[in-house]
Amino acid sequence: MGKISVYRFLSAGCNGCDVEILECLVPRYKLADLDVEVVERPEEANVLILTGGVNIKGKEELLKIYEAINPPRIVIAVGNCALTKEIFDKGYPMVGPPDQLIPVNYYVPGCPPRPQAIVKAVADILGVKIEETEDYWLAPEGFRGKHEFDSEKCMGCGACAQICTADAIDVIDGPDKRIIRVNYGHCSFCAFCQDECPTQALRLTREYHLLTSDRQTARVANEVNLVGCSVCGGVFFPQKQIDWALKRIVEEKVPAYKDFSSDILSAMMICTKCRREIGSIKRAKKLLANLSERARKL
Amino acid sequence: MPETVYIGPYRPQLVEPERFELLVEGNRIIDAKLELGYMHRGIEKLFTTRTYMQNLALAERICGICSGIHTLCYAQTVERLMGIDVPERAKYLRCIYMELERLHSHYLWFGILAHSLHEHEAFLKIMGERERVQDLLEYLTGNRMNYLINTIGGVRRDIRPEKAEKIRRILKDLKPLSDYIMSLLDDNGAFTKKTKGVGVLPRDRALDVGAVGPTLRGSGIASDIRKEDPYAAYDKLDFEVIVERDGDVRAKALVRARETYESMKIIEQALDNLPPGDIAVKPSEPRVGEEVGRTEAPRGELVYYIRSNGTNIPERVKVRTPSYANNFAILEMLRGERLENARTVIESIDPCFACTDRVTIVDAKTGRRRIITLK
Repeated sequence: MGKISVYRFLSAGCNGCDVEILECLVPRYKLADLDVEVVERPEEANVLILTGGVNIKGKEELLKIYEAINPPRIVIAVGNCALTKEIFDKGYPMVGPPDQLIPVNYYVPGCPPRPQAIVKAVADILGVKIEETEDYWLAPEGFRGKHEFDSEKCMGCGACAQICTADAIDVIDGPDKRIIRVNYGHCSFCAFCQDECPTQALRLTREYHLLTSDRQTARVANEVNLVGCSVCGGVFFPQKQIDWALKRIVEEKVPAYKDFSSDILSAMMICTKCRREIGSIKRAKKLLANLSERARKL
Repeated sequence: MPETVYIGPYRPQLVEPERFELLVEGNRIIDAKLELGYMHRGIEKLFTTRTYMQNLALAERICGICSGIHTLCYAQTVERLMGIDVPERAKYLRCIYMELERLHSHYLWFGILAHSLHEHEAFLKIMGERERVQDLLEYLTGNRMNYLINTIGGVRRDIRPEKAEKIRRILKDLKPLSDYIMSLLDDNGAFTKKTKGVGVLPRDRALDVGAVGPTLRGSGIASDIRKEDPYAAYDKLDFEVIVERDGDVRAKALVRARETYESMKIIEQALDNLPPGDIAVKPSEPRVGEEVGRTEAPRGELVYYIRSNGTNIPERVKVRTPSYANNFAILEMLRGERLENARTVIESIDPCFACTDRVTIVDAKTGRRRIITLK
């Protein structure tokens, strides 16, 4: 397709993405080399770049501007607010995300996306290759990009979902599996999940080219096996988390309890419902009495 | 016969959407109205639905440019509620990160000023050189913007000697950029011609409309929260509050340009005197009560008010951003100005409507003001 004329629209975002788009215009980021120009009126544009989650006041304007854009009328949503409203998801004036108001062709996740990611996304959409060295694309050590699970280490405790600042992590319990799913289209890339993970299983990598045409695919997931209750057989808890907790008790916290590890394990294998039964309570009390006696002796 | 001219809301020259209604006679603006709300996101309500830790990321996203100072102001206020003493090293690190932010924010402002004055070459040079600060912040914190470096009880990432070395190196590389900007602002500079005498805000009017930050300092009033109510390690660092007397756009630009040197001075001092120790302590339970905290953001005084009911979720958070205080100054400066200078005047306070959008201001022709709160 010939010359690209971009019109930028922002409603209800933090304007970080807009500054990054502005930054794309400097020679370092080659946006100008791609035969792309930024225009001042929607009537002159054939590509619409959206940032922000769209609020009540921006909605009418967005619909008007979309009508005015010339064919082929490609719409690119840049930044996570334009994908899913991100952290402002539950804000009362928000009516977006934009793809519920107008058709969106491409999504560039990130908060905000690096200028390199925006330029690469535009180049990919145009089918142009940018000749650049490895250094140009490389994000520095410690960069907070796309998530990665270490399925060996992840025990499915859901601590990441608890701390998540943008409700980006779902914990979905199936019949025998638990799925921990990071929707990085929702993510604010704060890396609290990485800091909170007790087993360092979740990590933010240096990968940041996340262009997609379907925001439902902007996900990373990990499956963990669930274990059944030893009394009723109902599925209730990840096996790995029980192993981890037991190991922590008898090896790290109180080594003297090691003799009782099988008793502690059997107590832990009872689901919350069965724990309330008389027999279980009696057994638990007996175990606690034994443990406290052992603690006194030490 | 006066006619009405609209600027905005969606104009690519303005980074953010806002709508100005200017009443013009001939070439002179005789009255101005400002309509906001295009960026309203209901943030103050959202604050009361999340825990204190989660709110850090939300506070940061009030504004993408001065994001760090929002988390710092929020964290300091929460720390007072929790009764936490931040380690000495964390205080110095906070100063370093926040002054880097001031650098990139001020350089961005010069970039946008150059853009609005149609100085394309200067725009590309300033924005290109500004990338050094962005790269440095990305290297230190893990993100170019919204870096979430302050946490409740300290900072999240340390500056080790090799990182300190890199900061020093990049500061040395940035000095020529500040010199270049100063050269644009000297008596024959490209900026001077187009900004001298434009959008004058006299000293007494600046006080009347309650301007803050560089807008106020450009009108001859030495007001800086870093000096008046020192936070982090600013009481132990030596720096000067920059003041210019003219009150026009050039004076505001000069304040910012000279402040970049002060920021570099602060960072170098903080790196030299960086004490050893921890970078963060664990947060504790907040007490029942209320606290107010303020910091000097790149655009001026930023105020946070937090009321706690003792749970892990705040009961009320109120944010007073610098751009909100400065908006009245824009209207003041626009009156009597020539129409072609309108954009320069609007940009001169470094407006950040993402910050401000919690209020609609209707300025009636009679001079009466009506404020409708969108809360």
